[in-house]
Amino acid sequence: MSESAGANAPKPSSSVKLVLLGEAAVGKSSLVLRFVNNDFQENKEPTIGAAFLTQKCTLPSRTIKFEIWDTAGQERFASLAPMYYRNAQAALVVYDVTKPSSLTKAKHWVAELQRQASPGIVIALVGNKLDLTNDGGDASAVQDVESESAAPESDEAAGEEGEEQDAAPGDARKVSTREATGYAEEEGLLFFETSAKTGTNVVDVFTAIANAIPESSLKTGRGAAGAGQTALGSRSGEDSRVNLGDRNAATAKEGCAC
Amino acid sequence: MIQWSSFMQKAQSLIDPANFNIPSLSSSDDNPSKASLFRQQFRLPDSQNPLQEITAELILPLPSSSSGSGETSRRAEKAGNRYTGRLHVSERFICFSTQPTSFLPSSTLSASTSWTGQTHGTGPSGNGFTIPLSCIRRVERLHSETNIFTLALTTWNGLLNKKKEENSGNQRLILQLVGSRQASERFCDCLKKGLREGIKEVDGLRAVVTECYSEYLLSGAKQAAKEGNDPDARPPPDAGLGMLFRYPGDARKLRDRSKMRLWVEYFRENGRNVTLVRQPTFHKLIRVGLPNRLRGEIWELSSGSLFLRVRSPKLYQETLDKFEGQDSLAIDEIEKDLNRSLPEYPGYQSEEGIGRLRRVLTAYSWTNAEIGYCQAMNIVVAALLIYMSEQQAFFLLSVLCDRLLPGYYSTTMYGTLLDQKVFESLVEKTMPVLWEHLAKFDVQLSVVSLPWFLSLYINSMPLVFAFRVLDVFFLEGPKVLFQVGLAILRINGEELLEIQDDGSFISVLKSYFSRLDESAHPKSENPKLRAITRFQELMVVAFKEFSGITHSTITEQRDKHKGAVLENIENFAKRTSIRNLGPESKRLSVDDLGTIYDRFYETLYHWQQHQKVLEEERKRQEKKKSERFSILGPPADREMGRVGLGPSPTHMDYDAFREFLAATSKWAVSDTPASARKDSSNSHGSFKGNKSLLWANRRQPADHEFMQRLYRKWSTDPEEGLSLQNVVNGLARLKGSPDIMNNINYFFNLYDDGDNGQVDREGILKISEALLFLSRRGFEGTITATQSLEDLNSPHDRENSLTTDEKFLGSVSAFIRRCFEYADPSHPENQRAAQGDATTEVTEGLDSFTIGDDEEEDLIDIDGDTSATKPPKTNTQTDSSEQNRPRSESANPALDPNNPLHITLPTFRMVVLADELLEQFFESYFPQSFHLSDHPHPAALAASSSLSSNLTTFSNIGSARPSPITANSGASVAGASGGIVPPGKGLRGVLDNIVTDGIRMAAEVKKRMDDAQRDLERSALGRDEEDDEEDDEEYTHRGASAAVMAGGISSWGAGAYGGDTERRGVREADRDLLEGAEVEASSLLDGKPDAELETSKTSHTAAPTATLDHDPKVVSKIVEFES
Repeated sequence: MSESAGANAPKPSSSVKLVLLGEAAVGKSSLVLRFVNNDFQENKEPTIGAAFLTQKCTLPSRTIKFEIWDTAGQERFASLAPMYYRNAQAALVVYDVTKPSSLTKAKHWVAELQRQASPGIVIALVGNKLDLTNDGGDASAVQDVESESAAPESDEAAGEEGEEQDAAPGDARKVSTREATGYAEEEGLLFFETSAKTGTNVVDVFTAIANAIPESSLKTGRGAAGAGQTALGSRSGEDSRVNLGDRNAATAKEGCAC
Repeated sequence: MIQWSSFMQKAQSLIDPANFNIPSLSSSDDNPSKASLFRQQFRLPDSQNPLQEITAELILPLPSSSSGSGETSRRAEKAGNRYTGRLHVSERFICFSTQPTSFLPSSTLSASTSWTGQTHGTGPSGNGFTIPLSCIRRVERLHSETNIFTLALTTWNGLLNKKKEENSGNQRLILQLVGSRQASERFCDCLKKGLREGIKEVDGLRAVVTECYSEYLLSGAKQAAKEGNDPDARPPPDAGLGMLFRYPGDARKLRDRSKMRLWVEYFRENGRNVTLVRQPTFHKLIRVGLPNRLRGEIWELSSGSLFLRVRSPKLYQETLDKFEGQDSLAIDEIEKDLNRSLPEYPGYQSEEGIGRLRRVLTAYSWTNAEIGYCQAMNIVVAALLIYMSEQQAFFLLSVLCDRLLPGYYSTTMYGTLLDQKVFESLVEKTMPVLWEHLAKFDVQLSVVSLPWFLSLYINSMPLVFAFRVLDVFFLEGPKVLFQVGLAILRINGEELLEIQDDGSFISVLKSYFSRLDESAHPKSENPKLRAITRFQELMVVAFKEFSGITHSTITEQRDKHKGAVLENIENFAKRTSIRNLGPESKRLSVDDLGTIYDRFYETLYHWQQHQKVLEEERKRQEKKKSERFSILGPPADREMGRVGLGPSPTHMDYDAFREFLAATSKWAVSDTPASARKDSSNSHGSFKGNKSLLWANRRQPADHEFMQRLYRKWSTDPEEGLSLQNVVNGLARLKGSPDIMNNINYFFNLYDDGDNGQVDREGILKISEALLFLSRRGFEGTITATQSLEDLNSPHDRENSLTTDEKFLGSVSAFIRRCFEYADPSHPENQRAAQGDATTEVTEGLDSFTIGDDEEEDLIDIDGDTSATKPPKTNTQTDSSEQNRPRSESANPALDPNNPLHITLPTFRMVVLADELLEQFFESYFPQSFHLSDHPHPAALAASSSLSSNLTTFSNIGSARPSPITANSGASVAGASGGIVPPGKGLRGVLDNIVTDGIRMAAEVKKRMDDAQRDLERSALGRDEEDDEEDDEEYTHRGASAAVMAGGISSWGAGAYGGDTERRGVREADRDLLEGAEVEASSLLDGKPDAELETSKTSHTAAPTATLDHDPKVVSKIVEFES
């Protein structure tokens, strides 16, 4: 309420908690590094537990400050994930377009999030390492996949090729765009294919997420919103999730607690 | 009785954990054993046990007397440092600590099960020593005025080197034993024995010791090498990648040289590596930070990994050689991270460093496949390798994973999560204001602190400081991580009280870590104060202010939170694994899946627990002969089995599967009296030896061919066992579809051995056997026989008097007949005759089987015979078998093995659908007999709701009944036990026996066919035996068993159900048969005095008689169990 009071005030800014999930070494940290620092490192240290970074994303109507939780990908770290996706308003589930098993793992994560994370969480499915495929070099081909369902015909064809595993030398694609799009549509996910190395589509992912976050679930600051919520007894697992639901409801009603 | 009670004692001693250091069966008492605390306290290998202990005084020469300590023993006694503590001796070590320690099972504290030890296995933080016995050169008993035992230990200190050291005196430790003469003598005897063994290992020790940097340093080789005038000069021992790529940090700033000089001095006075004696200076020297080249060795020494290396110096290389070229998931994961481990350190930008890292991680993943590889291990090992050789790092990693960071890197990482909980609770306790602030703003502490613990601060702090933390950590144990963590929060407390979200929380700490080398008091006037760095301040706060955080604090807190943490993990694992079971599983409800999941893992857990007990028992027996060989594997007294604890078994073998089924279906519970007793919760009930110990407190599962088939059907690889996925898919196919056709098909496929859509003669018999097996405990109201009005042959009231169970027996009997009737000949091309002939033959055979009067009578008679064997001495027995031989011979052509036949699925389906009860069996009872949750899948529910479900049923599952299949002592014995029915059960009891008999007979016949000792066969089966002589082929037996089987059932079942069969329009031939049977039945019931009928009547009455006969025995057995 307070931020909308003055018409000439700077754009309203809200923070959004975003979590990255996906199999080990699919490039989660690299995507974040690209988004936050516009940088790429060939040998990125594996994330232990989770890394935390922030980055702003400016939309025409408002500014979104992403609080990004970049989680460890190794299978055994999965049991730590609830700690990080708790309260998240958005999630980036990443797979590697050259590794079909990573899409399976991504599907598991999507299912986990749909059942266990905050209701209304915005999930984006991201196929990374597009640079390793033939269409990766031609960044413009996939530049405009803003609305995920309308994947260009050419892209579709490329996907088919990849599936047949013939393709031109150098195309390591193993997961077709069609397959992933189909799944994403089914589950109502945003979908992108990216390359953290070349930067293709990376910013677009975050922008699309920012646009997809419902206005009602935005808040100006975590502290303000949480101020009334001192009795966070259980700090892990489902209980907190319930608390979050309550809090979100409260936030929606009262607008801002400041 | 006396024998039994002595046996009971034995059995109890077997499971009494107090008697041995084996894990207890009850989960409530999970305190570590004294032996494990002892090992932790002195950081000894798992092979060591506390043998003797005694209070003693350690007298060390004063530092000043170091130059000539050899001759100054007397002076030392008076003027040396004296420490009072406890002296321990294990198989291979002698240890002394000033900390109060007591580990012997006989010591006063042992009685309590809640004993966790005085020190909780803190680690060697007190003054004292841990010396391998092989390192002791001589033990003398010194003269003393009193009776006090005074020992002087002379060690190999400095003498194991090829090169003699100048000015190195013998290291002599004077120990004054305080205790009774007896106790002292006992201790000395034990020590002597150990020393004698130790002599053999001196060479091994020498090999390891010479590689220690301290030896190189003290032997003067370093000096010689520098001067270059020694032809024998050897290269310095490997002290890590730092020697090639420089050690992190500025050596001058770290005052590496002066530290080194101090250590050399300490070594000279107190011994080095294996012979080192810990005095207060030792702890101080570690607190100020270790010099680069000695760091690896001291880590190794204080963590105890050195002793592992001494024990098996070749293990590392052998492991690498053994698994060379092999692949594993762990290796894939390791490869992904090799380039991402401390990438900024030059050593890891070279193939040399990467290679070392790869080898150590790989070798460890092979020796501990349960952990394999966990991210963060790469960072830790990369750090270790800067200061130590591959070998050293390998053993140190093993100590880290097993002892110092228990459960941290396991597949569930429960240790990590547990310690986060512990840390949070310590923060809450020590810094309540900060804790509340964090809670208020919903900042989760563990997202910050988790990496601190998991990678030992290595990628949180700058390397030089992280290593300082490690120096203390290896000596003092895990509490150091907590103390440092708390100190970090305390020092940053004020700033942290201002943060409002995770982001600022993290950035406050990040900036703190980046300025650890700056002055803690930059504005102070006092230059000394100004010189104190933030890191020094951190260490002081950690070890002074939080000195109250001890090992026992951590242990207590861990115990407190362990349950909740494991439960959380298990819920998560359950959720995830149920969700990922695949499309098949969607046919079951979520509750059903949950039930299967719980039951699956519960079964595995119990199974594993029991096997572990047996294994421990076996090991203990072996141990009496030789020491445990493997030194690296997981500690013997570790907990396991719970999903949350890490890799638990994921596959059930057949025996575990039986247990699973017994928890799922009533029919899978065995009938033996021991477990059928209702009060068998009394665990003494079924102690009959190791095997039945397994089923203590639990339903003893049956073992039936049907269960074996189910097992094979469900498993993808019977060798590997059943996975959860297998079980879920198996159950989903059975229960997930309400379609009767599906169930019939499923059953048929179970018996379609050739996978060719055919079930042969034997298969048909097995099916009928299985039908009886599955139904022997009643139908739980899922099957109802409708009154058939068309049944003209039997009066209505009599029809009513028969229960569903009885009718079902009739159905099974009819099933066999019909199967044979409609069966197709197999392999016509293989017959000697042309195809047409063969068919006729078979048909003829079938005709004679199904229609012939002789046959029918024969069948009845066989039944009579077998039943008659129950009271072992029945006169009619031999008579009837004599009489019936010709007839059974005439029947045999019908079952001629030369005419193999089979039924196909459509035939099977037709036969099943022709019978109302069988139809119901497949439609509802069979799928429903697998009990899952109370909330089945809606689809499955729809099917069952259509069924009427309340008729005469029996819920006498608890009643004692014989084990039908495992009858292994001949028909008569089995028959005798078969009569055990509680009095007052009336007709039901009789029928139980008949069912049992039916099953037993089939089993018995089959068993005998495989039996080489023909002369043991008697009574009814004797006839078949003689038939065999004419045609000694297996099929004859099978055929005969068919006759026996059919007869055994039809004599009382077919008549009762005949009308129904007729109604469904079966062949005319059937009617003849049924009429015949009808006559039999009615005449039987009318009590006509006929010779043959007499016997069959006996069969009916025999059972209750037997019951009475044997009831007393049952009672006496029960008494025995209870006594």
